[in-house]
Amino acid sequence: MAILELNNVVKTYNDYSVVNGFNFSVNEGELRCLIGPNGAGKTTSIDLITGRQKLTSGTVHFDGKNITKLLERQIVGLGIGRKFQVPAVFKELTVRENFEVALSEKRGPFQNMNPFSKKRGRKHFNRIIELAGLGSRLDSIAGYLSHGETQWLEIGMVLMQKPRLLLMDEPTAGMTEQETQKTSEIFKELKGDHTLVVVEHDMSFVRSIADVISVMHQGKMLAEGSLSEIEQHPKVKEVYLGTEGIN
Amino acid sequence: MNGNLYHNRTAQWIIYIVIFALLALVPFVFDNPFTLNQYARYIIFSLTAVSVSLVWGYGGILSLGQGIAFGMGAYGMGATMQMQFQDPESDPIPSFMLTNELETLPTVWEPFWSTPIGLTLALGIPTLFFLFFGYMMFQARVAGVFVAIMTLAMLAAWYSVVYDMQPFTAGFNGISPPLPFEIFETSVDPYSSLAYWICVAALIILTLSTKFILHTKFGLIVQAMRDDPERARFLGYNVAYYQTVLFTMSGFIAAIAGILWVMITQYVSPTSMEIMLSISMVIWAAVGGRTSLLGAIIGAFLINLGQSYAGDEFRATWLIILGVVFIAVVLFLPKGLTGLFEIIIGKLSGSNNGARQSG
Repeated sequence: MAILELNNVVKTYNDYSVVNGFNFSVNEGELRCLIGPNGAGKTTSIDLITGRQKLTSGTVHFDGKNITKLLERQIVGLGIGRKFQVPAVFKELTVRENFEVALSEKRGPFQNMNPFSKKRGRKHFNRIIELAGLGSRLDSIAGYLSHGETQWLEIGMVLMQKPRLLLMDEPTAGMTEQETQKTSEIFKELKGDHTLVVVEHDMSFVRSIADVISVMHQGKMLAEGSLSEIEQHPKVKEVYLGTEGIN
Repeated sequence: MNGNLYHNRTAQWIIYIVIFALLALVPFVFDNPFTLNQYARYIIFSLTAVSVSLVWGYGGILSLGQGIAFGMGAYGMGATMQMQFQDPESDPIPSFMLTNELETLPTVWEPFWSTPIGLTLALGIPTLFFLFFGYMMFQARVAGVFVAIMTLAMLAAWYSVVYDMQPFTAGFNGISPPLPFEIFETSVDPYSSLAYWICVAALIILTLSTKFILHTKFGLIVQAMRDDPERARFLGYNVAYYQTVLFTMSGFIAAIAGILWVMITQYVSPTSMEIMLSISMVIWAAVGGRTSLLGAIIGAFLINLGQSYAGDEFRATWLIILGVVFIAVVLFLPKGLTGLFEIIIGKLSGSNNGARQSG
């Protein structure tokens, strides 16, 4: 059953359409890669799903519920977590504090003023830290982490929220080969328990994790299928690097 | 936590208590009423710096409009003290109103016949105003320098209002209640130790409760929002709600400072809403260290002390000196004097984990 469904989604700025009748659906427990050339509308689509930008027309359904008009935090509350393209962490806080803030069981200001509230979810907390591989960096200021570690921190922060659907915008951007390797291991571990949509440019990374790949081009769905299907697809070849195909 | 004693919360509480104890002991050192009154003024300025540290240092909201709450509190207190002096039978109308050709007491002044109601209004109105104003700004996601501009514009608007509404506010001249503030059948002489201790008590209670709140998860979340509001929003937090709460808390503190100011000076005028005063509050907090409440207090204290003692000889150049100090701090010590202290303590306790914010 589809957990996320985009129907005929359109986003235009003045006369210029960035997303133009995009249809997209993801099943529960799936790991979907969303690829496409620059300017295809991938990040904009993520923005539209998470409420960061508003749709010009079309609908977004999550778990059967229409979330088209909801606010960002309401969408988060339903269980959609998001990692940004440029890693966004709280730079002046320690890694531990970043995770604490992310573990947001209570979200109101006054609930969080209670000094006697019990810290719950410690097991989950420690599991995520282990998964992100940041156990030894907990007391470091997030601003001093390496680029790869910052990416893992943000992925970990999103996971702290136990989202049902994770939207990852270029999680391996700027990572070294080893770091990419480690990230793909994290993702393989998440597969099954979580539904993931990964926007990615790095084809070797996509190869190592993807079940199904969706290709976006000029704001529309161009092709969808397994890795080999996509690699053989004539239109995809045309879009990527003329006729040379994906390499 | 990470080796630097500066970040040890127990050590922080001890330092706070030591400094506050020293402040409370001042009347035993100086028995000169004039000096004591001066120190009470510094305490009140420290309180405004605490409000700036809270909203700017922790929340990243650069408010240049703290004078709105300060001034509203001050005018509320001024009206209350003025009406304590008036007699309902023989002399119901303050003299400045008579000279402005008012024949009856304006309705907005009526509640100030009662001291409890007057104080409630002096505190409640600025707090509610900050709640409303903060909500308007933050739900529209006004941020960064635009907050500074909006708060500054709002301050300028209020300044004009109190300046122009001469029959109600005595305009440029201001209100000078003839008698000291009276509460629980005690007259609080502005030059007494009692008045000083009231100010110190307000500083201690407000600073410690603010610090206490900032040590809860709420404090962590507002700092997170300061670093990256978008990330916080996509972790499910209502950023505008948190910012509004923080802004209202800072307005509340500044309003108390305004009330105490009139208790200590027996005078309120539009200068309480002058732009220079509100900007000074920001400078005090910045010089002392905006990410530390105690730093802000020390900054306010040192600069005002400096101004008093250097003031007579350097009256003409004081603003230049202050400007140079401010620029130096911004350039070399972004975390103010406390940042310097943090680095020194860090070196002494052998931690090179870098600077970070703390209470």
